[in-house]
Amino acid sequence: MSGPGPGQGQGPGHGTPPDQVERGEPEETDQGLDERSGTMLLARMAEAVYWAGRHLERAEGTARIVQVHTDAHVDLPVGEDVGWEPLLSIAGVDSEFAARYQAAEDPDDVRAAEEDVVEFLLHGEDNNSSILGSLTAARENLRTARPVIPREAWEACNNLWLGSNDHLTEAHTREGRVRWLRRVIAGCQCIHGILLGTMSRDEAMSFLVLGQSIERADLTTRVLDVRSDSLHHPGADDPYDVVHWMAVLRSLAAYQPFRRAMPARPQGGSTLRFLLQDDRFPRAVGACLTEARAQLKALPHSEGAQEACQDASMVVASASVARLTVSGLAEFLEDVQLALVDIHERVDETYFRPSFVGWEPAAAT
Amino acid sequence: MPAMRATHEWGTLVYVEAPVDPMAPPADSAASQAEWPSYDPAPFFDELVGPSGGPRPSAEELWTHFAELGPIALAERQLAADREIRAIGVTFTVYDEGVGVDRPWPFDIIPRIIPRDQWQVIEAGLVQRLSALNLFIDDCYHDQRAVSEGVVPADLVAGSPNFRRECVGVDPPGGIWAHICGSDLIRDDKGFWYVLEDNLRVPSGVSYLLENRMVTKHIFPEMFRHYSIEPVDPYVGRLASTLASVSPSTGDPIIVVLTPGIHNSAYFEHAFLAQQLGVELVEGGDLVVLDDDCVYARTIDGLEQVDVIYRRVDDLFLDPEAFRADSLLGVPGLMRAWKSGRVALVNAPGAGIADDKKVYSYVPEIIRFYLDEEPILWTVPTYRCSDPESRAHVLANLPELVVKPANESGGYGVLVGSQATPAELAAAAKAVEDEPNRWVAQPIIQLSTAPTLCDDAIAPRHVDLRPFTLMGPDGAYVTRGGLTRVARRQGSLVVNSSQGGGSKDTWVVDAANDNPFEEQS
Repeated sequence: MSGPGPGQGQGPGHGTPPDQVERGEPEETDQGLDERSGTMLLARMAEAVYWAGRHLERAEGTARIVQVHTDAHVDLPVGEDVGWEPLLSIAGVDSEFAARYQAAEDPDDVRAAEEDVVEFLLHGEDNNSSILGSLTAARENLRTARPVIPREAWEACNNLWLGSNDHLTEAHTREGRVRWLRRVIAGCQCIHGILLGTMSRDEAMSFLVLGQSIERADLTTRVLDVRSDSLHHPGADDPYDVVHWMAVLRSLAAYQPFRRAMPARPQGGSTLRFLLQDDRFPRAVGACLTEARAQLKALPHSEGAQEACQDASMVVASASVARLTVSGLAEFLEDVQLALVDIHERVDETYFRPSFVGWEPAAAT
Repeated sequence: MPAMRATHEWGTLVYVEAPVDPMAPPADSAASQAEWPSYDPAPFFDELVGPSGGPRPSAEELWTHFAELGPIALAERQLAADREIRAIGVTFTVYDEGVGVDRPWPFDIIPRIIPRDQWQVIEAGLVQRLSALNLFIDDCYHDQRAVSEGVVPADLVAGSPNFRRECVGVDPPGGIWAHICGSDLIRDDKGFWYVLEDNLRVPSGVSYLLENRMVTKHIFPEMFRHYSIEPVDPYVGRLASTLASVSPSTGDPIIVVLTPGIHNSAYFEHAFLAQQLGVELVEGGDLVVLDDDCVYARTIDGLEQVDVIYRRVDDLFLDPEAFRADSLLGVPGLMRAWKSGRVALVNAPGAGIADDKKVYSYVPEIIRFYLDEEPILWTVPTYRCSDPESRAHVLANLPELVVKPANESGGYGVLVGSQATPAELAAAAKAVEDEPNRWVAQPIIQLSTAPTLCDDAIAPRHVDLRPFTLMGPDGAYVTRGGLTRVARRQGSLVVNSSQGGGSKDTWVVDAANDNPFEEQS
């Protein structure tokens, strides 16, 4: 045994007289963590904030889409409306919905009932990307990431999750639904506001904004994708064409920015150009990709993901919008979505899934 | 008092609206005055109410203020507190048939008050105790002088399930093994203080202590004008400097909190502490020990060396190479890294040797032996059932005793003789006879009470107190006050939150001392 034996025991406080017990705050000169140089971000935390960013965006985006669709539905005469199925396509949950609801229903009734679709999108049991499912996932991820995000942001998310659960039954009427959705949107905006206003622009923030940007771009392509169907066989003078395009813009909170940026009426071409290629509107695909790339630049080892981002930007920027209004929009949007998946995969393999094999300790800190 | 339940209001983000409408007519004063005189803690010692039925000197302001508020306003403030706790997500996890459920942290808004003079004695006593226990732990893993000089029996050390052979000969910085201690203190029917347990492994609760104060500041901001209350926040800064002080590296240390994961009952606390300290919260899978015996964290920028691990994982799960091979929570090679001095573990593995109800019974002797001082704080007389004479006494007097397993924590397996059924007493007697080594017994201490908001009135409920003591090579620090835990069922002595207990904010105040310490010592 090598250490100091208890005979020489010089333990702390060995015989410390009570009046020497330290009191109060550490002194200012105390070396503690104040001067810590190396900030580090665990790979697992980075993954949690990235997914928190994606799920929050998805919750907000889905809420906006359901809200606007409800509004537009009210505007259209019975018979002219487009039904509720498009919402399922936008959310990408057609087959999940069919598995859950339509098997049990009258096979002749091909149109999905409003209540079923809305319930499924708000909190459907088998729908992980329902609004409530997304909020739950965002909350779980933020709970994991609590040490790297502002306390207030976690509290706001927890609060939103609790409130949207407690008030869920109110969302079953159209009137209550509008209120519920507005609160969800406002709650998500509140979280973003807290993050923008109180979180350091550190690596954790970069991952959060990265997740948010990718999800935003994806959601915008989905909204456009659904419209692409009706685009190619417009009744020569569909009196409701403008209504539909206005709904598209509104569901992406893009109507007013579009009006200010584009003198044209909201029609296929101008709307597509704005939502795909605008570099200043935060939900336009082009702007989302610019943002994603800016965040990646701030991260180490991001060359591959930056490249994927640039590729996606090229796809979007080089598109001929005039031609897309005639044909090929669906295929084009699929290309964009695949490019987004590619960015995600590069991020995933660079940061979230590497094994220890081949990893060298960082230069001495 | 109307029973109220917390529901969640939209838009109450962090801070609830003022719970009392200033324009509302004053609460019925006749009713409010009827509440307090009906409060009768006898035959127990009450923290706020004296033997005459009036408030103790330190509680006078609080008493008056609460009487003015009246029962309805108090219930509203309790509701506001419940709502805030739910909104900020202060939870603990209980396990029901294997399924973990997050529960909002139970909090009673009526604070418990301790005069500062009294607290200073307790603080000195806690530091004395932890100093002696650290010397004892260090001795256990070195020369075992306490055994050779007959202070404790050899079996107490070598025969303890908490003795870690792997720790023999290791010299943690400053000889400190237990850096963070969460002692349990109780008071008897005369108000005398005792240490009931020294929790030296991975004691929980300090996050709740800090959050309780935060909530109280929001619920009773006006009370902080009447009282000079010692702040509790300095704990976090002290914890940070204690952790930094044991770092093996000379530069700015990289510190992490190691949690078993999101499903652990204390996960809230782990995340809270990491957030407050501004350090990463890691799980076993985030760390790796390389051939250089250094510990690295898996970051987005490759492997980053870690200097200090505040571990909230039990010894046996720390390192599957050294302990339980089936542990998925630990880090293979962690013990090797610690023994080579490349990383500091807080608390050190093996510290639990002094956190054992049999060792507990020897603490007064341990203090005298290592420090050559008289113990400042009392220890509850403890019968070791392994000793035939004590065992006979225990078996003959079971209804007047508390029987406890010697090596458990969390209030599990505790039998309170006076509240047990004949069948339970018979089972306990058999357990003691079958495995006398596993059991100790203590006289039943009639825990003190404190006024607590129950469904329809303010009623006395039993309380204990868990202060936290930090000890590093540079010195010691004790929280001002501690976490007061409340047994919520009438007459119950079990305060553990895992067993349905509640909690209170605890104020160490600059007020007239009404303490029984002079009599006690």
